Amino acid sequence: MGAQLSLTGVRQIRGGREALRVDSLDVGPGEHLSVLGPNGAGKTTLLRLLSGVDSPHSGNVTVDGISTARGGVELRRRVAYATQHPGLLSTSVRRNVELPLRWRKVPRKLRGELALAALERLHVAHLADRPARALSGGEQQRVSLARALAIDPAVLLLDEPAAGLDAQSRSAFFADLDQALADRATTVVQVSHRAEEALRLADRVVVLVGGRVHQVGSPEFLNRRPADASVAALVGYDNLVDAFVEPDGTVLVARAPTGLTCSGPAGPATVAVFANGVRLVGDGEPGLSVRVTRVTPGPGHQAVALVGAVSLLTQVPIDAPATVAGDAVRVVFDPALSAVLPRAGAGTPVLRLPGDVSVTRG
Amino acid sequence: MVEPLYEVLARSAFVSLSATLVASVIGIGLGTTLALARVPGRRLLTAVVNTGMAVPTVVVGLGVALLLWRSGPLGDLGLIYTVRGMIIAQVLIATPLITGITMAALGMLPQELPDQLRALGANRAQLVFRMWVEARLPLLAAAMAGFGHAISEVGSATIVGGNIHGHTQVMTTAIVESVGRGEFGVAIFYGAVLLGLAFLINALLVSVQHRGASWARS
Repeated sequence: MGAQLSLTGVRQIRGGREALRVDSLDVGPGEHLSVLGPNGAGKTTLLRLLSGVDSPHSGNVTVDGISTARGGVELRRRVAYATQHPGLLSTSVRRNVELPLRWRKVPRKLRGELALAALERLHVAHLADRPARALSGGEQQRVSLARALAIDPAVLLLDEPAAGLDAQSRSAFFADLDQALADRATTVVQVSHRAEEALRLADRVVVLVGGRVHQVGSPEFLNRRPADASVAALVGYDNLVDAFVEPDGTVLVARAPTGLTCSGPAGPATVAVFANGVRLVGDGEPGLSVRVTRVTPGPGHQAVALVGAVSLLTQVPIDAPATVAGDAVRVVFDPALSAVLPRAGAGTPVLRLPGDVSVTRG
Repeated sequence: MVEPLYEVLARSAFVSLSATLVASVIGIGLGTTLALARVPGRRLLTAVVNTGMAVPTVVVGLGVALLLWRSGPLGDLGLIYTVRGMIIAQVLIATPLITGITMAALGMLPQELPDQLRALGANRAQLVFRMWVEARLPLLAAAMAGFGHAISEVGSATIVGGNIHGHTQVMTTAIVESVGRGEFGVAIFYGAVLLGLAFLINALLVSVQHRGASWARS
């Protein structure tokens, strides 16, 4: 059974500066929460507090209502924390996985069975008798995760669990992680600086920037309506450009129409657009004039760099009409793949979606 | 009466091994505390330990002798010119070395290891024990260095033990005495035997160390 996690009025100081400030954050039993943020955002600080390894400078962190500062080792033993570095000990894989079970006084026979089952779940049982530190990075990550899962924790904390793995290994690792967690009610908090890792299979995502919570929402919500430019950049919007919202809601970039409208207050704004949301249009159509500076082949598409009053990145299908550096083109932004955001200090505009359906940003 | 060589040899081994054992317990404990705990005066203690590693053994012997002298503060214990007094002196000689190497050994472990062990559910004792296991090879090297320091020293053995035949004479003091009498052949022979003893004990510890290393790989 997963546990309820709660942070209230938490401040944590590290190296003389405020590394984290969370007024209130609850994670329900069995919920999968992702924490997305750049390096130094306070993600690891948050996990250390939740794991009970650190106590907050002020405020309260609880697991099922029990303060981690007072819960002691018994509370810590309900929480499994897989740190960013696998941190395997200089013994065999099997002993690495058995050790936390031994500390929890699990009988020898049972802990052997549990360790093997956890290793099997992560597809590394064949490495059980190998020296842990002789394994590859990917294998060590899997063993580290098996070690965390073997104790059947109420809470699983994962700190950049696929750090250091190549794209292919990461994908396989997460597939196995999903499978390993599928039949469990464990509360999971996973932190990552990669949107594709943080957004996948999370019930909710917390975006941390500079130690502060910038936005909390479902992955879909964050994708569609990032609260500000920093969240948009983290979520994976490729283009962030200065814009201006006219009184009639037309969104202009460099005084040119963008194809976007906004029902928010007129004034300066920022437009966030995914690369595939920047559309090339014909010469006679309204749009932003730019020039192609570079065309780079990518997987299933061509990445096209554009420069004009602003710099943009777009993607065109491989079989699209040839585009070469130097071409003058016009672009507009696809409303479904764009978001109009407040410029720092400005009011919060509301994105008007196609069909004049307005949705207030949360 | 001339004491058989094997008795002097056995006494040397006994004094140095006993001192190493006691110094290892104190040194590893102190080194662990200084490496892992946030104790007040940690820097000062570290400086004292580092200084202790460089103190000449004859100075340690002098200090211990003054303490144990019959009119000294611990004179009533009757330890001057005894094997136990020699062990005390050698403990003081070996402890800073073992403490210093212990601190370095634990300091060389990954910085995040203590937190990782806590995150895995270790209590304080389990954490410290696991840190020792992870640093077992350098810790054994610390004990070996302490033993080497103890068995090779002559200053404190002479001052505190008094080189009394059949009672407190050890190999190093016997060598010094032989040289004093001009019996260089005897001194060289004693030296070779002492080297052999040191080699034997170190070979034993190295074999333990190798077993530890292969255990770590298994």
